[in-house]
Amino acid sequence: MVLCSKTQGINLIIKIMKTINKQTNLILTAILLVLSVYSCDDFEKFEPIGANSIADETPPSASFSYTQGQGLEDEWKDYTFANNSISATSYSWDFGDSNTSTDLDGFNTYPGEGMFTVTLTAMDNLGETSTFTETIDVVEPEEPLVSDPVLVNSDFDKLAKLGASDCSCSAWDNDDIGEQGESSTVNGVSSFLKFDNNEPDHVYQEFEVVPNQDYTILIVTSFKSISSTPGSYPGSMLELRVLAGSGYVSGYTPVYYATAPEFPNSGYGYTTVAQVEESANNLLTEAISNPGNQDYFTTPYTFNSGANNSVALFVRGIGGEDTGSYGYTSGDEEIRADSITITANN
Amino acid sequence: MKNIKNILLFLIVVVASSCGADFLSPEPTSAISAEDYYTTEVQLESAVINMYDAIQGVNAFAFSSTSLNHGVQIEFYLTEMRSDNTRTKSGGGLPQELVIYDAAATNTFVGDYYRSFYNVIFRANTVLANLGVASEENSANIEAEAKFVRAYAYFNLVRLYGDIPLVESIIGIEDTEIQFNRVAASEVYDLIISDLETAVSGLDNTHKFRASKAAAQTTLAKVYLTLGTEYLLAQQLLEDVMISGYALEPNFKDVFYNEGNDEIIFAIGFESDNSNDSQDFSSEWLNGVGRSSGVNYVTDEAKVVIDALGGNRKEYSYRTDVAEPSQSQVVKYLPNGDNSLDIEPTSANARLAGNDFIVLRYSDVLLLHVEAIMAGGNSTSVQTALDSFELVRLRAGLLGDDDNSITKQELLDERRVELAFENHRFFDLIRFGEAMNVLSDYSTNNGYNFSSTDLLLPIPQGEINLSNGAMQQNPGY
Repeated sequence: MVLCSKTQGINLIIKIMKTINKQTNLILTAILLVLSVYSCDDFEKFEPIGANSIADETPPSASFSYTQGQGLEDEWKDYTFANNSISATSYSWDFGDSNTSTDLDGFNTYPGEGMFTVTLTAMDNLGETSTFTETIDVVEPEEPLVSDPVLVNSDFDKLAKLGASDCSCSAWDNDDIGEQGESSTVNGVSSFLKFDNNEPDHVYQEFEVVPNQDYTILIVTSFKSISSTPGSYPGSMLELRVLAGSGYVSGYTPVYYATAPEFPNSGYGYTTVAQVEESANNLLTEAISNPGNQDYFTTPYTFNSGANNSVALFVRGIGGEDTGSYGYTSGDEEIRADSITITANN
Repeated sequence: MKNIKNILLFLIVVVASSCGADFLSPEPTSAISAEDYYTTEVQLESAVINMYDAIQGVNAFAFSSTSLNHGVQIEFYLTEMRSDNTRTKSGGGLPQELVIYDAAATNTFVGDYYRSFYNVIFRANTVLANLGVASEENSANIEAEAKFVRAYAYFNLVRLYGDIPLVESIIGIEDTEIQFNRVAASEVYDLIISDLETAVSGLDNTHKFRASKAAAQTTLAKVYLTLGTEYLLAQQLLEDVMISGYALEPNFKDVFYNEGNDEIIFAIGFESDNSNDSQDFSSEWLNGVGRSSGVNYVTDEAKVVIDALGGNRKEYSYRTDVAEPSQSQVVKYLPNGDNSLDIEPTSANARLAGNDFIVLRYSDVLLLHVEAIMAGGNSTSVQTALDSFELVRLRAGLLGDDDNSITKQELLDERRVELAFENHRFFDLIRFGEAMNVLSDYSTNNGYNFSSTDLLLPIPQGEINLSNGAMQQNPGY
């Protein structure tokens, strides 16, 4: 029974009063007074206006992140999707390749490369939804080929040199650890660099490398016989070192110049011969002996760059008796370098 | 005239002794206060030792109040037990919540570890705030030590909880803007990196139970590998550690039962039968010896891999529980010895164990070296990586890599076996990007409830409540 107006209520009370004795009148009057306080409007105030009359104060918020699989086979096609949604209870994934899922986290194997639009719809128990969409670019990762290092003036051409006249040693000079080699040309065309007899001549250049990568060095050289005693090759050797960038003088950051005349002559990279000779700084230490004739020949070497992204190539003549101001000199015969090339072993 | 002089003097006296802040809050003379305790370097040295005391945590057997900080002694609940390496012996209770990826924000271990490691940070900040009393000679070294400890604590917290409050100085209870402000993990990592750089330059390798240069270098390398950046720097840091005098113990057993050996880079020291400096985690891993009936029991999944790849590490990694032969226990860090394995008890009371907890050791460095050279790729054939890998394998009585190409999976498995039950596995899975795959499968096979949001712990509910709405919970909790 619903009491929905004061008159209905009063009529009801009168009916009841007629049927029962007077002793209960007082109580019933009290009930009547209480009931009469409420009107129909008051009751309607507590009636629901419609479904979901209270706003959803914690609506869902969809969100996900994803990771591409790694491995030696086809793992790159596998994607895992981490569901980071808030305040949701059910989920619907559309992976963009017609695959779908209602799991909490998503996992999908794509057919191949391509752009796919992934949509996550998150829903809470009140039916509120939120969607989050992201387009992913499925690409098979490539093993990047390591490019060859850049050496400037690797043919020892006679070029302009910072603060000095043209020289085959342009781009190759570090006066702190040796003297510059002289230029020479054959028939005015082919240029090469001379490591003079009994002099501390050298070449030095820094170049950028990929860490832990194998590289091959090819050096083309010739040993001259001594003019006073033709056919004699007393013992000059050409020493070649690859020096680790980790051994550069403290605080130095290598600069890779594009052209030979920009190269400094001192105060960079390796600044003492002691640093050069420190075994921990040497990735490669080799010496080319005199072959006993004057022909040009090519010697190959391999080194690994190790934990360096920069290394320096240092070549000098050794074997002389007079140790000179740098602590070394070449022997009695002159050595010539025609070219040096370095390639990455891919 | 004379009177005027007296009055002037009186005025001067009154003015000179006017009532300043010091008068209203005098420095206590009959008790020690934290604010002005540190006046000498010797006192500051005690604050330095105090940092390690916080990492050590309180032995729950010796002091039973659950509101105490248990530091590194409960770390395995949040790392190894949340990986596929260990579980509870018989299920049930708060540890089981973590095992089945059903942890509530009210889980006591979640709150205890958070509290413990912010307390480590507080103690490190206390050292840093009082550097002024150190001599010029030692100041840089003490700063480096405190910053190592702070970075170590933050690195653990940020990996477990994600975005967290960044406390860089001593704060009070009213500094709610700092203590309840979750900053982006990247900002936390910025502080970790700068602290570790300071530590690397200011420390040497004198200590194994305190910060050292090698510990800072190894941790910094691990930070770079975790972030997936600066692989070259990581490799250089590790190669520097590799020429710093550390070496693998010839016998795997001695790593754990010859304390302070050549392989140890950083360990948390404990003293047996000493209420204040012993640990109880060793006894918790046994059958009903600790308070639990047995936690950190070895999963079948871990046993399969250890059997296949363990070599002579196997018998010192896990053993059959004689009381329940279907179950397996960890052998590293036994408190009460094992006759058949020729391991002596480390203490008279197994619950007051003295086994140190190893944070960093040399074989970790060697395997991180391989990881740095792999540089996020799927494999490596670089000789120096093969050499490091081989050293670890040779000690285990095995050969180096069989085909001169170490794959990511081989490296992850080798780390799992070599460093099993040393709280590495969970972080390794995340660092290798394999946590989702591996833990989803493991969870499905065991009927657990793993989802991606379980890779982070919840922020402790107590912090959320105290923050008055300022702190948002991690998704999924």
